Amino acid sequence: MSEQSSSSPPTPSAPPDGRAARTGSGPGRMLVAVYAIFALAAGARAGVQIATRFDEAPVAYALSALAAVVYVLATVALAMDGRTSRRVAVAACSVELAGVLVVGTLSLADPAAFPDATVWSAFGRGYGFVPLVLPVVGLYWLWHVSRRDRRAA
Amino acid sequence: MTNALATVIIVVSLLAAAFSAVTAFRNRPMGWGDLVALGVVEVLLIVQAVVGFAKLGGDEGPKDGATFVGYLLAVLLIPAAGAGWGLLERSRWGPGVIVVACLAVAIMIVRMQQIWQGTVV
Repeated sequence: MSEQSSSSPPTPSAPPDGRAARTGSGPGRMLVAVYAIFALAAGARAGVQIATRFDEAPVAYALSALAAVVYVLATVALAMDGRTSRRVAVAACSVELAGVLVVGTLSLADPAAFPDATVWSAFGRGYGFVPLVLPVVGLYWLWHVSRRDRRAA
Repeated sequence: MTNALATVIIVVSLLAAAFSAVTAFRNRPMGWGDLVALGVVEVLLIVQAVVGFAKLGGDEGPKDGATFVGYLLAVLLIPAAGAGWGLLERSRWGPGVIVVACLAVAIMIVRMQQIWQGTVV
């Protein structure tokens, strides 16, 4: 684990626990775990909805599928870490935040357009508002880790 | 799905979550206690899967059987994934993940009861 630091000069301001800042380790593991559960939940829900009754509410079910893809992307990108992965993670979290805000507002303003619920309906009320909180926590965590990286550099 | 078994699973998984939360607060990596608690949850979930399939086979259960079976099988993966993560992350955040996993199990069981009783689709 610590072999990587032997070739590079010691970094005086490394995190106190002696680890490199990574999006997928430490507290980040909890975040990845929650994202993984949401990827599973949203993916399974979208799969069942589209397979059994896509005609009833194509917009809602397409949105469910989109949400699932975004959660999967965020989970993988946060877990992998690396420069590209972090960009993907930031993009995924941003899309998620925009999605939950737009779909949440629309689903309350025009319920007829959303005859069946998605993860993002009513700001994620069906999921304890976790879909609303999760992207904010994710973006904060990405910002926190990259700031720690810059300090260590 | 029986209410008694579901209640037992919810209570046990919440206790397991509390136990791992204490481990995380004490700044310890996952220990035997966390693993045993996860094991008990997993055994209960396997019992539930067997009972659930037996009842579905006996023409009981919800109209939308596919969703219920999905939950029945998916929930089995959660404690195993939590244990694996606890082994990988040898810090307080290993039990932290187990807290998330156990809470997820409790939430999924509540959801499964709703699906079984037909209060949600």
